[in-house]
Amino acid sequence: MDAYLAAITIIALIYMLLSLGLTLQYGLTGLINFGHVGFFAIGAYTSALLSLQGVPLALSIPAAAVTAGLAAWPIGLISLRLRDDYFAIVTLGFSETVRLVITSEKWLTNGVQGIPGIPRLFESISVGIGAQLAVMGVLLVVTLAAIYAMRRIVASPFGRVIEAIRDNEEALQALGKDPARFKIQVLILGSALAGIAGAFYAHYITYIVPDQFIPLVTFYVWMAIIIGGVGRVSGAVVGTGLLMLFLEGSRFLRDIVPGVSEVEMASLRIGVVGLLLVLFTIYRPQGLMGDFTKR
Amino acid sequence: MIYAQLAVNGLVQGLVVGLGALALTLVFGIARFPNAATGDTMTFGAYAALTVHKASGSLVLGSIAAVGGAAVLALVAYLAVFKRLAGRSVVSLLVASIGIGFMIRAGLGIAFGHQQQVFNVPLSRPIRIAGLAINPLDLQLAVVAAVALAAVFAILYLTPIGRQMRAVADNRDLARVSGIRPERVMTAMWLIAGGVCAIGGMMLGIKTVVAPEVGWDMLLPIFAATILGGIGSPVGAVVAGLVLGVAQEVSTPFVGFTYKIALSFVVLLAVLLVRPRGLFGRIEGVR
Repeated sequence: MDAYLAAITIIALIYMLLSLGLTLQYGLTGLINFGHVGFFAIGAYTSALLSLQGVPLALSIPAAAVTAGLAAWPIGLISLRLRDDYFAIVTLGFSETVRLVITSEKWLTNGVQGIPGIPRLFESISVGIGAQLAVMGVLLVVTLAAIYAMRRIVASPFGRVIEAIRDNEEALQALGKDPARFKIQVLILGSALAGIAGAFYAHYITYIVPDQFIPLVTFYVWMAIIIGGVGRVSGAVVGTGLLMLFLEGSRFLRDIVPGVSEVEMASLRIGVVGLLLVLFTIYRPQGLMGDFTKR
Repeated sequence: MIYAQLAVNGLVQGLVVGLGALALTLVFGIARFPNAATGDTMTFGAYAALTVHKASGSLVLGSIAAVGGAAVLALVAYLAVFKRLAGRSVVSLLVASIGIGFMIRAGLGIAFGHQQQVFNVPLSRPIRIAGLAINPLDLQLAVVAAVALAAVFAILYLTPIGRQMRAVADNRDLARVSGIRPERVMTAMWLIAGGVCAIGGMMLGIKTVVAPEVGWDMLLPIFAATILGGIGSPVGAVVAGLVLGVAQEVSTPFVGFTYKIALSFVVLLAVLLVRPRGLFGRIEGVR
């Protein structure tokens, strides 16, 4: 039971990092990134491949952040020239293309067979769930640092500028600020967070295949921040908690209700994600933690 | 010669992409948002056609059921969701359309399971025309698509409601002040978009397999074709779909089976960056 709780806490923290990245990009800056899972995948594969080459994890995880951030740079340059909805389509296409590349480039990624035997964090600790607790501790520190950084950003001049980009880009330009630089920075930062999340994911699960990086993951994260409240750091936290409750709860539900197969449950899960996205968009666009004075 | 053969094979695939893109471009032009449920509506059409075809053995009945079912589905989605979101940001509509797509896919997955299913169509010997092997089935599918396209273009360009739809696409406010009722236009548009999706989905199912995610996987080529054709341009969508279908097949010897899908992404990016109004689109101030 303790091992189980530690396991879902770790997964929840990984999703939390993803949600924070998206909150920075969409919630605060208004950039519709539908390709979040692409950067998650880049981080996961970078750190996994490096560590299998003998690079210590203390270097491979930051490297994952760097490659994911670098991958976001061209996407950021593109975002400057596109309207919101086109940018959404381009990012969705980007994440699918990333998945195609990792499926096809067998020499590097072993294709659909995936990469097994990725080293764990704290492999040397073999006492009970000691290693898991240590992983949890590190992730917790990283996540808290990210939350702290986000709160600082919101309160800083940088935060005011990116929120202004979301609310009224023209007005911001009229005030002599150049949104371009800020947009690119935000995309790189958010994607680097997704890359870190991917690295932790790879070293925790120890086995990655292209199928783990489908767009559904992106929309899990979207669901989390929409339910929690777009543009709020607390929203990302609460939303991720509810997302985990939903993902794990649906697993338990299958044990309680007999006759539901795993594939049916998978369908049901997609259906509930869809329903929640629709209902929240219509009835609670500000989410649970959102600002109720505005609409 | 091999390229000519590949190009012929690509035409049917191109028609599937073109039909999807036509549905997408109608919604994009008139309701003004990219409808991410387009792919899943196609899947719905494929399953509807498959079910009726299994029960009756008739592809004609199957296609009628698919068109009817998907048209109603699209209209319900409009009335229940998109209509309530009128006046909201594009993001709201986009996110809601993804939600609807997920719900359709979930429903199909629960109702029909996740195993791939195929249409039981009789195999036939390819006809040889000028050295090219042409599958009679492909020819039939091309005819079906041509009839569907002819019907849609007839509605768009020969009927009052079609003229009203084009007027709304051109300038919504101007259309409204000249007495066009948006409600009727929207209803007609969603019915047509749903029906067009169904034909595309059925063709996709006959050519390949029927599974809950086949439509969603088509979304990228469909978006690419819509943008290549110029948003809101029905002719452009179909032409671009054909171009993309043929290009994907012809590129296969060079880039392999997996990367031919990535071609859509490259086309999408190139068009958006170089010529955002596409081949047939009007000049727009924003992109």
